[in-house]
Amino acid sequence: MAFEEERTMMFRIDAGKEEIAKTFLKVYEALVAKGYDPVDQLVGYLLSGDPSYITSYDDARGAIKRLNRDELLEELVKYYLKGHDNGSSAEGRG
Amino acid sequence: MAKLEIEGGRRLEGVIPISGAKNSALAIIMASALAHGESVLENVPQDTDVAISCQILEELGAKTFWDKDGRLHIQTDNIRGYQAPYELVRKMRASFYIAGVLLARLGKAEVPLPGGCSLGSRPVDFHMKGFGSMGAEISIEYGCMKAEAAKLTGCKYYVNRASVGTTVNLMLAASLAEGTTILENAAKEPEIVDLAIYLNAMGAKIRGAGTEVIRIDGVKRLEGVEYDVIPDRIEAGTYLLAGAITGGDITVTGVVPEHLRAFLLKLRETGALVEEEENAIRVACSGRPKAVDAETAPYPGFPTDLEQPFLALMTLAEGTSVIRETIFDRFRFVDELRLMGADVKTERDTAIVRGVDKLMAAPIEATDLRAGAALVVAALAAEGISTVRGVEYLDRGYEFLEDKLASVGAKIRRCKD
Repeated sequence: MAFEEERTMMFRIDAGKEEIAKTFLKVYEALVAKGYDPVDQLVGYLLSGDPSYITSYDDARGAIKRLNRDELLEELVKYYLKGHDNGSSAEGRG
Repeated sequence: MAKLEIEGGRRLEGVIPISGAKNSALAIIMASALAHGESVLENVPQDTDVAISCQILEELGAKTFWDKDGRLHIQTDNIRGYQAPYELVRKMRASFYIAGVLLARLGKAEVPLPGGCSLGSRPVDFHMKGFGSMGAEISIEYGCMKAEAAKLTGCKYYVNRASVGTTVNLMLAASLAEGTTILENAAKEPEIVDLAIYLNAMGAKIRGAGTEVIRIDGVKRLEGVEYDVIPDRIEAGTYLLAGAITGGDITVTGVVPEHLRAFLLKLRETGALVEEEENAIRVACSGRPKAVDAETAPYPGFPTDLEQPFLALMTLAEGTSVIRETIFDRFRFVDELRLMGADVKTERDTAIVRGVDKLMAAPIEATDLRAGAALVVAALAAEGISTVRGVEYLDRGYEFLEDKLASVGAKIRRCKD
């Protein structure tokens, strides 16, 4: 039973990761296309939650609003830690 | 002078596109003068406050014009004047934003203490203290603030009462200052975020707008850009209330629903159906609204600019509501609602509204911009033909008011008084 639950959970997280990555890239491209600094704008959105930071061009705003901000931040932190992993797994800590 | 004639009692139904945010546009228009080159602003409402802002910039050396697509062009290479014209600044409070701009760009500003809607005492002391903290010498002579600084330097500043005006003015000044400015307890309104995005697009380095701590790293030069102003959440809220009070069904489009979160929660409490899409909000009502208490607060709380129109809705509610205004003095207009049969008692910052079965048409007069909006909302529901005077206040913040309301079924016309 515990094994089954673990497998289900892993599948959900993987799916979320993919969606989050796709959304970040979509938003990045839309912000660049409209001439904004994408990092500034994304950080502004993540800090404040104000959708005005994200252009509505190419449904970027709609896409990012469909995701929870805390999940976006969690994924960014995990990804960063994984990228600077010195042996212990960031995934394991999460 | 003009007045509006409104035949009430007609159910409003349909879609209203929302204009750009006046309060955002005013700050952005002034901010354009920090830069060199040309800014092209889209979604700027063509109301009288915007016209006054453009006149002020022109007096100081800028060139402004509207193109055929309704975009406002502002060329600011030749800003040389540092004395803002008294008659124009006195008409509009937001014109004081030019103080931060001139101080940052020219190192010198002489700006009359501002006017605007009569909403109680709204001193600009905190703007001036902020300039002082950045190294400016400040004095007041004959009702005019004189400020001078060989250079502005970044500072840490606590914004009293999370004032929007102070936050805007210090963001403007700090954008070209030397070093880093940190604004604590900053205003979090969407208009602050919009200004920050515009300034950043011009080359500024501002972080944290929309939170209570804003960090501004000063830069040496800004360049004009093309920019879209955010939609006007207050205009959107006003039309939703106009629909609600007539038992109607109104959708406002081109909006950011998140900017109206607290207001929409209150509308839901009245029993209205509220539907949000990505860029639109629909509010549908039938029968009388339920009485709901509300208290204004800085964003993201219930907006003070919608308190008066919301109070107008509550005059027809089932039951008694208590409205508390914590930011400005805005209850003078209830005398006009009483002329229409409303049962409202006020004491200091609180209004007790006992809902009545109906409002009756009356000759009424706006005493400020949002009071005017509230009276229009009330008149739309009242039996008979009301005349609303003080239209010049409404013209400061509602672009195409009669056209927009008529498009959803209101019988409203502007005529000479």
